[in-house]
Amino acid sequence: MLILTLSFACYLFAIRKRPLLYLGLVLQVAYMISRAAELGRLPLVGPHDTLVFLTASIAAFAVPFGFALKDRNRFFNVVSILAAVFTAFAMTTKQHNSPLPPVLKTFWFECHVVLAFMSYALFGIAAILGSLYLKDQQDSIEGLQYRAVLVGYCLFTLSMIFGGIWAYLAWGTYWVWTPKELWTSILWAFYTFYVHVRLRQWWMGKPTAVLGIAGFGVVMFTYLGVSLLMKSSHGF
Amino acid sequence: MKIIKRLTGFFFSLSTTLWFLGLLLLLLFAGAFIMPGTQEFQELHSIPLFDWLQKQPLKITWWLWGLTGILAVLALNTIFCSIESIVRKRKVTQWLLLISPQIIHIGFLFMIFAHLLSAIGASQELVVVREGSLVKISDDNTVLKIEDINIKIDYYGYITGWAVSVEYLSDGKTFLKDIIKPNNPSVQMGFNINVKDIRAYPEAVLLQINREPGALWALTGGILFMAGIVTLIILKIKLER
Repeated sequence: MLILTLSFACYLFAIRKRPLLYLGLVLQVAYMISRAAELGRLPLVGPHDTLVFLTASIAAFAVPFGFALKDRNRFFNVVSILAAVFTAFAMTTKQHNSPLPPVLKTFWFECHVVLAFMSYALFGIAAILGSLYLKDQQDSIEGLQYRAVLVGYCLFTLSMIFGGIWAYLAWGTYWVWTPKELWTSILWAFYTFYVHVRLRQWWMGKPTAVLGIAGFGVVMFTYLGVSLLMKSSHGF
Repeated sequence: MKIIKRLTGFFFSLSTTLWFLGLLLLLLFAGAFIMPGTQEFQELHSIPLFDWLQKQPLKITWWLWGLTGILAVLALNTIFCSIESIVRKRKVTQWLLLISPQIIHIGFLFMIFAHLLSAIGASQELVVVREGSLVKISDDNTVLKIEDINIKIDYYGYITGWAVSVEYLSDGKTFLKDIIKPNNPSVQMGFNINVKDIRAYPEAVLLQINREPGALWALTGGILFMAGIVTLIILKIKLER
């Protein structure tokens, strides 16, 4: 937990010194490796481990996107704040240390979760870029947001496919009617709407930037809201 | 003639896609608030969706009926737009760039078709079995016999794995043997038979017998969708360079 606390401090102070963002990421990766070694599996179950993985993914994806920006300071500042908030939240949640049920010990489950959180991270990056676009109105930022969404959408779709394969092998059906699946469909339909809307010239710019920001709200509800407020097939 | 022209214009339009995707989102949002608080949805997994829909009151199913209609329009819209796009851009030199979005669309159509097949013909049955139990799985006298239940338990008492040996019998004669393990169901004769739950003392298994006619179509659709989207992203990156 000390490593995680240190990574939180790094993210917090990365607003002043950007290299601390990278140090925070390195510490968080070290924390995940230590958890994996302790548990003998990938730490991807429960709010604690998934929040850590999400934060590390946001910080990692922020690097290439940040360096593509002219004014990267504000972008990295927002990323640092977001990473600090998620890390703080992870520190308040309980670790899932008990052995996994046999059905969760599969490549399909691991890929499903890893890809889902990587896509969530990219949707988060897209939301930050959207907010920067609303302030600066630079077309290049909106273009970057589109790229983040497109790659995130690709990973999210792949995650859903892997989830479907896993569900079929574990429970005999690729689809179950639970709030998590329904919200996942909402999320997928939302970003499908985004990628189609952008084909229309008059939707490009401010409207898509706003959609990119709103999309992360849907992501957060799908991830945390459904798991905390509703009974579903997914723990997290 | 005017009506036909209007109708084809409607299905060829990207505006139709956007409007109907917007409506789809609204209905999904409505469903997300109706479903968690409604007890009737618990039964939805055991019978085909369309059978379930007909038995339930409209006040809890209206959004699912709406979704079905919207998906039908979107499926037609996808077919029309893909054909129109291929015809309009057929002379482009980068044919992969032309074809990859259409592959994504075909993948989407396969997935819709998969859900349609499952909505018509999916079923789920739960049955508690022990060693020696016989379960009738189809109308042609095929019976499943539970030969052996092997449960692995670790030092702390957690179940870490299982292997349930089964035999398929027809007119009392074994014609197939299989073993059900975690994430390794017995898939035979259109049925997916897996262990939903297991108890060590006394040894008993909650067997789940699923029929999911859309599974293979959904997988094919997923592969096509991914092939299309990955190709499109790679081409876009190449073009920008």
